[in-house]
Amino acid sequence: MEVLILVLTFIVLLGIGVPIAWSIGLSSIFTMLVSIPALPAFTTVAQRMATGLDSFSLLAVPFFILAGQIMNRGGIARRLVDFAKTLVGALPGGLAHVNIIAAMLFGAIAGSAVAAASAIGGFMGKAMEKEGYSKEFGAAVNIAAATTGLVIPPSNVLIVYSLASGGVSIAALFLAGYLPGILTGLFLMIVAAVWARRKGFPVGERSTLRQVLAAFVNALPSLFLLIVVIGGIVGGIFTATEASAVAVLYCLLLTFVYKEISFRELPEVFLGAVGTSAIVMLLIGTSMSMSWIMAYENIPQNITELLLSISDSKIVILLIINLILLFVGIFMDMTPAVLIFTPIFLPVVTELGMDPTHFGIIMVLNLCIGLCTPPVGSVLFVGVGVAGTSIQKVVRPLLPLFIAMIIALLIVTYVPALSLWLPTVFGY
Amino acid sequence: MRQMIDKYLGYLLIFLMVLITLDVLWGVFTRYALGSQASWSEELARFLLIWIGILGAAYAAGQRMHLAIELLQLRLDQRGRRYLLKIIAGLVLFFAIGVMVIGGGQLVYLTFILEQRSAALQLPMGLVYGVIPLSGLLISYYKLQDLLES
Repeated sequence: MEVLILVLTFIVLLGIGVPIAWSIGLSSIFTMLVSIPALPAFTTVAQRMATGLDSFSLLAVPFFILAGQIMNRGGIARRLVDFAKTLVGALPGGLAHVNIIAAMLFGAIAGSAVAAASAIGGFMGKAMEKEGYSKEFGAAVNIAAATTGLVIPPSNVLIVYSLASGGVSIAALFLAGYLPGILTGLFLMIVAAVWARRKGFPVGERSTLRQVLAAFVNALPSLFLLIVVIGGIVGGIFTATEASAVAVLYCLLLTFVYKEISFRELPEVFLGAVGTSAIVMLLIGTSMSMSWIMAYENIPQNITELLLSISDSKIVILLIINLILLFVGIFMDMTPAVLIFTPIFLPVVTELGMDPTHFGIIMVLNLCIGLCTPPVGSVLFVGVGVAGTSIQKVVRPLLPLFIAMIIALLIVTYVPALSLWLPTVFGY
Repeated sequence: MRQMIDKYLGYLLIFLMVLITLDVLWGVFTRYALGSQASWSEELARFLLIWIGILGAAYAAGQRMHLAIELLQLRLDQRGRRYLLKIIAGLVLFFAIGVMVIGGGQLVYLTFILEQRSAALQLPMGLVYGVIPLSGLLISYYKLQDLLES
């Protein structure tokens, strides 16, 4: 009964357009009010909100957002595009590959797929159109590639997963994300190459080694951030949170050296980062009250039993979970989906002997696909917006890219080594 | 009035964000340069995060930044949309008053009575949790205004 109230109120609230974080909190409180008196229920939710945020590792989220927004102001998009151009510009469908690599790098550095889609898309869209690519194709490639950067560390969603899963190592998750992210990127590039060859899109000039090096040196300061952060975390020099604070300092120094941001603009950048972070924080806070009521009503256990009664084959269960998540991803943004569904599905897969690190990668990769599907795909909206085209027109060229992403997802799901090999090498 | 609140809330949040950045960097620095990290720096960072998260949520609510699915709104005519927005504001108002002001206030009251203090800084925990009713009041103000304006 309570389960039904929780699910129904949540869907109705979401459907009429109550912001997701409040929908989660409201449906939890409505459910609690059925069996718990008002004052203790209110107090419990308030307490869960505060204790949910009381975590040192969670602090990495606002810092990475801040670092990303500082970087965003600078000329990082242009430098990454130039670098990618010397690397892959000469392949069939040259600029499409440039777009894919730059969007992935940007997504990884800035930690936001929306930022990647708007920065790289704004930059590449015109360049691609000038060389004869269709607007829709450019937008589709950009949208699909931008989400892939979310699996490649540093990744805020993986930090949120670490929190929701009750403490899976962030360093292990970061390392696990590399190969699946790169694999997905490769698949996107294959689709783009085939599509470009069929349509006869132009091939760029081959760059000399000197040009590659020059572009690399130019992009190095931005790429160096990835090395400092990931190297620092994996090498045990600092925690993810400390690394993220160092990243903020590094980005600040960098933009001052390049004079790309003035001191007077800084407060605005900080406030922007606070706003974006607070949206995530409120989601985490209210999700904590929802997972409390779910645990109180034994929902995770019931779902585990239900799923295991359908089949005890790992292959089948993972397929079902993937299908559910794909469906969820169509309607829900990534962070709330991770927060709500990790406590539900993680017990099932650990029961089947699966590694929680591996499951985190599957979940994020899966939900990436939802970010570029209508009707609720934030990256899709932004990508279509900067390209100046419409969702209806982009869907056609997006389709083969979706299929490539789903195939990559299936491979990552059923080949655990792809995620777990790197963490094992580094001793996690 | 609303602009004033926006402005000072913004200043406060920027100040907290700068403070938390300096605090964590100070923690890293002391650990490497001085060999030992003060125990208060991590605790302060955690408490500041709670403040930034919950107070920032009020700021985001004021700026209407929170993510929502707007499919239904787009399908309604202007009158229907106005009603819908009022219903949404009312629901958020219920959460802000019930959970954040009353529930959060109760939480603060309990920790004050029990004289709970934090481990390292010896701060009263009521001070940390106090951000919940404070943010709840701000959100209530914003949403009441949304409800009353035509």
